[in-house]
Amino acid sequence: MLLKLEGVTKRFGGLVAVNSVDLEVEEGEKLGVVGPNGSGKTTLYNLISGVYMPDEGRIFFEGKEITNLPPYDRTKLGIARTFQIPRPFGSATVRENVAIGAMFGMANAGVDEALEMADDMLKLVGIYDLKDKEAKLLTPLEKKLMELARALAMKPKLLLLDELLAGMNPANINEILELLDRVKKEENIAVIAMVEHLMHAITKFAERVVVMHQGMKLIEGPTMEVLNDPKVIEVYLGEKLNVG
Amino acid sequence: MAFVEQLIANLLYGAILGAVYGLATMGLSLIFGVLRIVNVGHGAFIMIGAFTAYWMFTLYGISPVLSLPLAMAAGMIIGVAVYLVVVKRLVDAPELATLLAMFAIGIFIEEAAKQIWGANYVGYSWEIGSISLPFTEIPYTKLVAFISSILIAAAVYVWFRKTKLGKAVRAVVEDREGALTCGIDVNKIYALSFSLGIGLTVLSGVLVTLFTPVGINAYMGGEYTLKAFVIAVLGGLASPWGAFYAGFIFGLIENGSYTLLGLIPGVEPFGLTRFVSFVVLMLVLLLKPTGLLGGE
Amino acid sequence: MKSYSPLITLLLAYLIMIAIGQSIPGMWQPVMLVIFYIAIGQALNVFLGMTGYVNFGYVALLGVGAYGMGVALGYYNELGLIPTLILGFILAAILALLVSAIVGGIALRLRGAYFAIATIGVNEGIKYLIMGAKIWGGSEGIVLSGILRKSFGAETMRFLSTTFADAGVIVVAIATGVVTAYILNSRLGYALIALREDEEAAKVMGINVTKYKQIAFMISCVLAGLIGATAWTLKLTYVFPQDVFAINYTVEAIVIVMLGGAGTLLGPLVGGLIYALLKYYLAIAFPGLQLLILAPLLIVVILLFPEGVVGYIAKKARGTRLENFVR
Repeated sequence: MLLKLEGVTKRFGGLVAVNSVDLEVEEGEKLGVVGPNGSGKTTLYNLISGVYMPDEGRIFFEGKEITNLPPYDRTKLGIARTFQIPRPFGSATVRENVAIGAMFGMANAGVDEALEMADDMLKLVGIYDLKDKEAKLLTPLEKKLMELARALAMKPKLLLLDELLAGMNPANINEILELLDRVKKEENIAVIAMVEHLMHAITKFAERVVVMHQGMKLIEGPTMEVLNDPKVIEVYLGEKLNVG
Repeated sequence: MAFVEQLIANLLYGAILGAVYGLATMGLSLIFGVLRIVNVGHGAFIMIGAFTAYWMFTLYGISPVLSLPLAMAAGMIIGVAVYLVVVKRLVDAPELATLLAMFAIGIFIEEAAKQIWGANYVGYSWEIGSISLPFTEIPYTKLVAFISSILIAAAVYVWFRKTKLGKAVRAVVEDREGALTCGIDVNKIYALSFSLGIGLTVLSGVLVTLFTPVGINAYMGGEYTLKAFVIAVLGGLASPWGAFYAGFIFGLIENGSYTLLGLIPGVEPFGLTRFVSFVVLMLVLLLKPTGLLGGE
Repeated sequence: MKSYSPLITLLLAYLIMIAIGQSIPGMWQPVMLVIFYIAIGQALNVFLGMTGYVNFGYVALLGVGAYGMGVALGYYNELGLIPTLILGFILAAILALLVSAIVGGIALRLRGAYFAIATIGVNEGIKYLIMGAKIWGGSEGIVLSGILRKSFGAETMRFLSTTFADAGVIVVAIATGVVTAYILNSRLGYALIALREDEEAAKVMGINVTKYKQIAFMISCVLAGLIGATAWTLKLTYVFPQDVFAINYTVEAIVIVMLGGAGTLLGPLVGGLIYALLKYYLAIAFPGLQLLILAPLLIVVILLFPEGVVGYIAKKARGTRLENFVR
C-alpha cells in the first residue's frame, strides 16, 4: 500500500470541502479521480500534497503517517504534483524550474546533476528547445508540460496530476498518455490523474476510477464499470459521458 | 502610595494619548484594508499635520481644533496626488515594489520638509488651562485631543455605515474579492480610500502636537510610524476599528511600562519604552500575527 | 553547469577600482566610498534580492557589527592587538548572527508585508535598548581613538584606521561577492529563486521555505555586521548609536540593490557605482539634498525599471556570448 487516507475531512468555514474520504492507492497503480467542478478534487490533492492539513482523519504514505507532515517533507518521501493552473517560477528559466524539482524532490540531486536531469526530462516531455526561456513566457500548454517535467524530475513514487490534460488536443493527450505509461513502467510510479471532463482520456489511462461528488467519494471501482454506473451519470446531470 | 498614584495618573494619561494613537493609525489600516498596501512612510504624513498645526497657530493664531479640517483637506489632496502619480501604477505590482515606493515617498516628504522648514525642533503652546484630578492635573488641550479623536473616529464610523460610498469602501475592506466582483468601481474606491487614509493621518498629526508641543521636526514621524505599526498589528492590520481600539491598549502599555521602567535604577526609561514597543510588536507577531483584536 | 564567470567580471571591477584609487591622486576616497556602497548592496542583495523580502532593519546589523568590533577594541584591548581584532570580528559576526536568528526566527514565519513591518522596529528597538539601558556607554557610545593610542600607540592606531580598515572593507566586499556567486550556483540559490517567485509552489516542490529564508537572512546579516565592523568602527574609531543606527543606510542599500537589479550578482556593483558616484558628486554640488534627490530616483526605478540595470542587460544578453559574464 503506497497511499492510504482514512476518514479525511477538510472544512472551510461552514463548507465541508472533503467529507470523510477513504482512499487506497497501490504502488505503480494508475488511478483516475473524476468529479464535477467543486466536488472536492483539488482539496483532496491539497490534502495529499500537504498544502492543507486535514481537520479530521489520517493520511499514510508507505505505512508511515504523514497527516501533519509539511509539504516539503512529503515531497522527500516521494510525492509530487502538478497544479491545475500552472505555477511556474516565472523569472527562472524552464531548465532551472525543472532542476529545482530534481534538487528538492525525492531525487535530492546536487545542482549539476539536477541540471542534467532537467535536460533529460525536458527531452522526455518534448520541450527541450525551450530550456533557456523564462518560464513565465511559455504558453499555457508549455507550462503544463514543464510542470510535468518538473514533477517527474523529482523522481516520485506517487505523481498527482491536476487537470493536466485539460485544454490539450487529442494528439497531445495521446502523447502524454503514452509518456505516462512509459515512465510508469520504467520507474513504477503510481499516478493519480484528476479530470473534470475528458472521460475518454481517463478510460485509456486509468485502471481504476474514484468519483467525487460534493466532497464525498461517490463510488470507486474498475474504470468502465464505474463510468457506466447510473449514480455517476446522474452526478453529471444528463451530461453525455463520452466513454468511447 | 506615591508610586500607585503615579501609575494610575500615567495610565489615565495613556488612555487619553491612546485615543490619538488610535486615530493616527486608522488611516494606515484603512489603506492596508482596501489596497493591501503597507504605508511605511506613514509617519511623514503625521509630520505634515504637525507642521500644519504649528504654522496655523504661530502665523495666524488659529487654534489646533480649527486646523483639523484644513489638515484633513490638505491630506486628502496629497493622498489623491500620491495615488495618481505613484500608487495607481503599482496596485498590481509585487509587494516589494509598493513597499519601497511608499518608503521612498515618506523619505521624500521628510527631506522636502527639512528643506522648507529646517531641521530644528519647533513647537507652540496653546494655553487653555487644566483640570485638577485627585492624583494629577490634565491640561484641557489633551482633553480636547482626546474628545476630538473620539468624535472624528465616530464620524468616520457613521460615514462608513450610513453613506453609499462609505458602505462601498467597507465592503472592500470586509470582503475584498466579493466586492470587486460585484461591480464596485475599484479605481475610484482605491483613490478615495487612499486619500481618506492619508487625510486622517495628516489630521491626526495636528492632535499629536497637543502632546509633544516642542517636538515638531521633519523627522518626527519615524517614531509614529513604528508606533502605528505596533498598533495596527495589535488591531489586526486591516481593520480601522481594530486600530482605534488598539490605540488605547498601546497607550496603556506605553505609559504603564514607562512608569514601571522608571523603577529600575541606572536606566533611561524614555528610551527603553521605545524598546518595549518593539518587543510588543514582535510578541504580537509571534503569538498572534492576525492581531489581538483580529479574527482568523 | 552553472558558471562562475560573472564573478570574473566582479573581481576585475574591484581590481580596476583599486588601481584607479591607488594611481590617481585624490581618487582613493571616492573609490573607498564606492566599494563601501557596493558591499552594503551586496550583503543586502543576498536576502532582499534573492527572496523578495524587504528588511527595513538592515542598518541595525551594520550597527551591531560596529558594536562588536567597538566592544572588543574598547573593553578587551589588553588581549593584545591581533587577538583583540580577531575577537572584534568574531563578536561582530556573533552579534549579527544573534540578532538575525531572533528577528528571523520570529518574523520569517510571516509573509511579505508582515515581515517588512516586523523589521521596521528592529533598528529603533536595538538603538533604544542600547541607549535606554545604557549598554556599552549608552547614548555616549564608545570612543576608541584615545584607548587605541594608549594601548597600541599612535602609529598602530593610524595604521588601523587607514590601511587596515580600508583593506578590511575591500576583503569583506569581495567576500560578499564570492558568497553571492556561490549562493547563486548552489541549491540554496535555486531554493531562494523558487520561493521568491511562488512560496506555496516552492513548498510543494520540496523546499522548506522558512529554513532557506532564515539561512539567507543570517548570511546577509553577518556580512552586514562585518562591513559595520570594518567600514565604521575601524575606520572612524568611534561607535555612536545615533550614527550606526542611521536609517538612511538602509534606504541607500535598497536603492543600490533595486537600481542594479535585485537578485543578480553584478547588480549591487553597478547600482553601487552609479549611486555612490552620484552621491559623492551631488554632495559637492547640492550639499544636504542627496536623499531628496534619491527618493524620487528610487520611485522612478521602481516604476520604470523594476528589473534594474543588470537585470535588464542580462535579459537582453540571454542567448549571446555575453550571457556568461552578466548575471
